[in-house]
Amino acid sequence: MPSTVDLPPLAVAVPLFGAVVLAVAGRWLPRLGCDVLAGLWAAADVALLAWLWGATGDGRTVSWVGGWVPRAGHSVGVVLVADRIGSGIALLAALMVLAAVGYAWRYFEEPSGGHAGVFPALLLLFEAGMVGFALTGDLFDAFVFFELMGVVAYALTGYRIEDPRPLHGALAFGVLNSLAAYVTLLGIGLLYARTGELGFAQIGAALDASGKGADALVVCAFVFVLAGPLVKAALVPFHFWLPDAHAVAPSPVCMLLSGVMVELGVYGVARIYWTVFAGPGGIPADAVRPSLLALAVLTSLVGAVMCWQQRHIKRLLAFSTVAHVGLFTAGVAVLEPAALGGTAVYVAAHAGAKGALFALTGVLLDRFGSVDEAGLHGRGRELPVVGALFTVGAVALAGLPPFGTGLGKGLAEESAKSYAPWLPWLFTLVSAVTAAAVLRVALRVWWGAGSASHGHAGDPETSGGGEEPEVRAPRRTLPVVLVAVPALLLAGCLAVGVVPGVAEAFDQAARVFCDRPGYVAAALDPGTAPPVPPGPAPDWWSAGAVLSGLLSTALAVAGAAVAVWAPGRVSARARAAARRCHLAVRPLRGLHTGLIGDYVAWLTVGLAGLLVAVGALR
Amino acid sequence: MTKAWRLGLFGVAAAVLAGWWAAACVGLPGFGGQVHPYGERAVGASLERHTANVIASVNFDQRAFDTLGEESILFASVLGATMLLRVARDERRQRPLAARVMPSTRLFGAVLLPVTLLTGAYVVAHGQLSPGGGFQGGVVLATGLHLAYIAADYRVLERVRPLTVLDVADAAAAAAFTVLGLVGLVAGASYLSNTLPLGTFGELASGGLVPIINAAVGIEVASGVIVLLARFLDQAVEVGGGPGDGGSRTAGKEDGG
Repeated sequence: MPSTVDLPPLAVAVPLFGAVVLAVAGRWLPRLGCDVLAGLWAAADVALLAWLWGATGDGRTVSWVGGWVPRAGHSVGVVLVADRIGSGIALLAALMVLAAVGYAWRYFEEPSGGHAGVFPALLLLFEAGMVGFALTGDLFDAFVFFELMGVVAYALTGYRIEDPRPLHGALAFGVLNSLAAYVTLLGIGLLYARTGELGFAQIGAALDASGKGADALVVCAFVFVLAGPLVKAALVPFHFWLPDAHAVAPSPVCMLLSGVMVELGVYGVARIYWTVFAGPGGIPADAVRPSLLALAVLTSLVGAVMCWQQRHIKRLLAFSTVAHVGLFTAGVAVLEPAALGGTAVYVAAHAGAKGALFALTGVLLDRFGSVDEAGLHGRGRELPVVGALFTVGAVALAGLPPFGTGLGKGLAEESAKSYAPWLPWLFTLVSAVTAAAVLRVALRVWWGAGSASHGHAGDPETSGGGEEPEVRAPRRTLPVVLVAVPALLLAGCLAVGVVPGVAEAFDQAARVFCDRPGYVAAALDPGTAPPVPPGPAPDWWSAGAVLSGLLSTALAVAGAAVAVWAPGRVSARARAAARRCHLAVRPLRGLHTGLIGDYVAWLTVGLAGLLVAVGALR
Repeated sequence: MTKAWRLGLFGVAAAVLAGWWAAACVGLPGFGGQVHPYGERAVGASLERHTANVIASVNFDQRAFDTLGEESILFASVLGATMLLRVARDERRQRPLAARVMPSTRLFGAVLLPVTLLTGAYVVAHGQLSPGGGFQGGVVLATGLHLAYIAADYRVLERVRPLTVLDVADAAAAAAFTVLGLVGLVAGASYLSNTLPLGTFGELASGGLVPIINAAVGIEVASGVIVLLARFLDQAVEVGGGPGDGGSRTAGKEDGG
């Protein structure tokens, strides 16, 4: 029976071992055997991480791998530090992998890459990467698991090799993320050269002790180290790879990419800032807050506008993820524990809603070989249950109470408005626009509402028609799991909002997360960290949260209704105004060229901008 | 975006990055210092564990968890390449042609192949004692085997390269690393703890768990790299895009994949 401190490394080792077993056993086991084995393995890791979450409580589980506990405050080893935010997002990753394994069970008709074990083995490796990244307390170790996560994700994105588009999406994803990872490694090198340390807590403590403050090296290291997580989080202008990759990856993989991997980028930014740079030897909060907030606002607005413009349903959902990641980053950027706790609730619930929407879009691809909103007009009528779930997913995305998205959004807004009174309006507007776009799809595809033609002839756009179905048996009956998995994910999204205690748990977890002295003490000098006193319990479903959720939903419904029904009924003047709006955002759409060279240029511009901003504000 | 715009944007931004990077490097410790905080501790810890090669001690003992992640990256790359480079529905496999090689080249290859493999095995086996180790030796082993392709032809390479066996060996060695970590747990210490007898400093069987993990990594890297290269070489040499793509079989030899 392992003790609690052994759980973090085991939670990484178990999926790694499972991947190996599947890679070997898949040569002989039939398809069903592989899927059952993968499901059991994913469930085992969920159990381990749930145990870790329970056992960690409001403290931290500190695990020195290899037993290299610090002597006199120094160690040569790797430390894993699980607090509730870290183990929580690891648990979320494990749950999403379990959902993806379940969904993929009947999704792909044919074995992939030689035998049936390869795809689930890659999913488990992906899980190991995500869990390792979430639990580690060491900067270099985080880089290693970040790379593991990336390598698997590139391969999974390019899964459908018959079509050049997935390969192109995977290539853009791989090139952008790898370049950013190299920049991160340069940053790690800077910090290591100055401090001789690699652990988060150790680097942070050494920077504080050096007394040099935020000099050029620290600023440069801060921006460079964050390059990898920022690209993974797909913040504008680092986001270009995301829609290209999400539009073409197999649907079960999209559930993981959008549901949890992108959010892990935001988690990485928050973790690295609080543990390494939040002290007197790091970057002043007054430099970090506006820089991150500017990125967050830009990201959520660009994501929302681009989301509204799409007709390729998976691209639309991908841009909605960009928009929401902008909101999550805003929740982190105000640097308030309460906003962080609300954001954690938001992320957990969003994973359920977004995972479900991608899974349901996968059903469209399975049935019709298309994810084109216009081309599928009215064709969804034969799938009423799928349509109902899709609509539920759309209002969950808007934050309709009592879905967890609404609770998380409300909590984050309440706290964030003390810093910037206009932030709640951003949250409301962005969640309303993205949900309106999804509702518009639901109305057109399942209810056949409005006209079948789509907007503006002659624009260059990605239609989403002529996609290869991801299976080769077009008229099989619809497997139950393809509907059951999204239904369960939506139930999870609802549960986050209705189960009492979730909000309090995350609120206290966020307070622990932001307790930098406690983190450093727990990692370097175990037993001396005083527990974080519980603060005032957050207002569970405050009137403001309920109203804001209702407002977002009402705006989303109105927006979708106008988009679907208005074009035939409004005056020529209103049409001309709509046309002008459309033309105004055309340059923005034009920036999404699909050319990797352009994306790299934007990545460089983003990093340079961040350097100048943080450098000027420090 | 036009090419001029792209280059201009990139140029300006890259100049800003380069300027900051240069400014940051000024703040680095000077060259040729006598002390490094981590270096001191790592050497001490390595001697304590009777491991003569400090790098091996850092890789397979002190920061073995990083190495577990790294060898998993290689394992994932092999699996990913296997999946992406599978024979697609519109492709077909062709038997590679025999190639004519100069007798001197063939002789040279036949002599050097065993020597190279022996060198690779030596570098793996002495990883805990002298520079080298599982990663380096594994690459020597894997590339050495491809002398068979250079000095003979693809058919010969396929004979000396049992892909199924290597594929399973790759996975088994990856599994071995993960499971060896459990030895520490069984002994009542933490995951990946070096709890085995440490042996005499400087001898082949010294360092406890280090030589064993090192050997597992050597096997994984050697077989993984061979399988990885095989997927790419197969694409270049054997897999054609259907009728009218006859050139690929011979082109593979000249290009070397």
